[in-house]
Amino acid sequence: MIWVENVLVSPGEGGVYGERMLKEYRVWDPYRSKLAAYYYLGGEFELTPDMVVLYLGAANGTTVSHVADYAGTVYAIEFAPRPMQDMVAVARRRNNVVPLMADAAQPERYAPLLEMADLIYQDIAQPEQVTIAIRNRVFLREGGRMLIMLKTRSIDTAEVPGVVLERSVAALEAARITVLDTKWLDPYHKDHAAMLCSSGLGPG
Amino acid sequence: MQSYWFGDVDENGCTPYRGGPAALAKRLETIRIFPGSFVPFDWNDSVKCSFTPDREEYIRKLRDLCFYLAEAGITRQYESRDAELLQMVRTLDQLDEVSNVLTERALEWHRINNPGFSRKYMRLPKQKLLPMMKRGGSPAFRQIINEIENLASARTALMKEVSWRADEVVPNCSALLGGLVAARLVSQAGSLQTLSRLPGSSIQVLGARTALFSHMRGGTPPPKHGIIFQHRRVHNAPKEVRGKVARVLAAKLAIAARLDQYRQELAPEFIETAQAMIDNAGCAT
Repeated sequence: MIWVENVLVSPGEGGVYGERMLKEYRVWDPYRSKLAAYYYLGGEFELTPDMVVLYLGAANGTTVSHVADYAGTVYAIEFAPRPMQDMVAVARRRNNVVPLMADAAQPERYAPLLEMADLIYQDIAQPEQVTIAIRNRVFLREGGRMLIMLKTRSIDTAEVPGVVLERSVAALEAARITVLDTKWLDPYHKDHAAMLCSSGLGPG
Repeated sequence: MQSYWFGDVDENGCTPYRGGPAALAKRLETIRIFPGSFVPFDWNDSVKCSFTPDREEYIRKLRDLCFYLAEAGITRQYESRDAELLQMVRTLDQLDEVSNVLTERALEWHRINNPGFSRKYMRLPKQKLLPMMKRGGSPAFRQIINEIENLASARTALMKEVSWRADEVVPNCSALLGGLVAARLVSQAGSLQTLSRLPGSSIQVLGARTALFSHMRGGTPPPKHGIIFQHRRVHNAPKEVRGKVARVLAAKLAIAARLDQYRQELAPEFIETAQAMIDNAGCAT
C-alpha cells in the first residue's frame, strides 16, 4: 500500500468520483471506503499486482477503482441498476475491471464468467451477508483470502453489534472458514467490522 | 463437461463458441453452474481452446461481453413497468415538500410588511392566500408567489398522471387503495416485484420506519400502520380497531400486489370480496 505523508493513496488515473489528488496519486478516503478504513486501522492484508479479486457489492465503483489501481484483475459484482450505471463508467476507464450485473446470492448465474480469485472482498448490505460469502467461497483459490466488511446493522438492527460479529464468526467457522482477524472500523464507519478469513481448505 | 462463457471444456479438449457479445450473451443464458459442481477454471483453457492468444485478449473479450450484459441488464430493469411510476410519485411528494417550504417562507416575509397579518389568515387555503399575498408585494416577491402557483398546477397535472399510471401498473392495489396511495406503496417498497414478495405484516408498516425500528430497538409500542393509514377505512376507524382494519387491508394488499405482479390485470371477483372484508373489518367484534 502506498502512503504519501500519512495519507493512503492509489496509483491511477484520477477523476473517477471527484477524489483529491496528491503528487500524481489518488487519495483514498477512509470515510468513504471501508477498505481504506481497514488500512488506516492497521489492516495487514496487502493488494498486489498479480492478484485476481472478486468484489461482491461493487456499488458505484469508487472502492473498485482503487482496488483496480493495486490489483491485477477485478471482477466487480453489483445487482442494482442505478449504481451499476456508474460502475460501468468506471470500468470503461480501467481495463482490468470486469463489471458483472448479477446477484451475489446467486453465484451459479455468473460462475461461467469467473476465474479463481486470490481475494474475495465483500461489502454488501444484506441480512444473509455471511451465507452469501460462504456460497461464493468456491471461487477462492487455495490459500486465498476473504475480506468481509460486516454490516452488523444490516444483519440485525436490534442486536448488539458485538454479538452479531460473534455469531458471524461462528457461522464462518462452522463452514470451515478460518477467521484470522477482526477489526472494528470505528471511527470511520459505525457498527462495521472487517473480517479477514482464509478458505480453510488446503494450506494457508 | 464444463461450460464456460467462451466454450465447452472436457477431457477431449474444448469447443469454443463463435460470435460477438450478443451471441455469447444468448449462449450464456443457457449455462448454470451451481457451486457444488463448480470446477475451478484456468483462463489458460481459453488459450488451449484457441479462443484467445493471451490473457490480455481474454480479459478484453470478457469485458466486451460483460459491458454488453450490464447495459442490457440496466435497460431491462428500467423498462419494467413500475420504474417510471416510482419516479413520478417521488417527484410528486417532493413537489409538495418544496411548495410547502416556499409558501412558509413567503408567509414569513409577507408578515414583515403587513403587521395586521395574523394567524387567522394563515388558516386560509393556499389558493386564496397566495393571490392575497401577491397584492402589494415587491416584483421579486410576486414572481416567487407565481412560481408557487405554477408548482401547484404542475402538481395537479402530475397527480392525475400518477393515478392513471398506477391504475395501469398496479390495477388491483389501486382498486383497494386508490392510485396515489398504491403508487406510494410501490415507491416505499422499491419496486412492484419487491412489494409482491412482502408479507402482509410488512406491507402494514411500510412507511412507518422510524416507529418500527424504535419498537425493535427500544420496545416502544409497534406501529399499527404506515402508508396505508392514508386509506379512509384506516384513518376513519375508531382507534381501538384501527390496527385490526390495517391488518386486514394489508393482508389483502399483499394478495393484490401478487396479482399485479404476475397476472397484470384487474381481478374483479377478488376486489369485491376483499373490499367487503375491509369494509367489515372494524364493525363486528
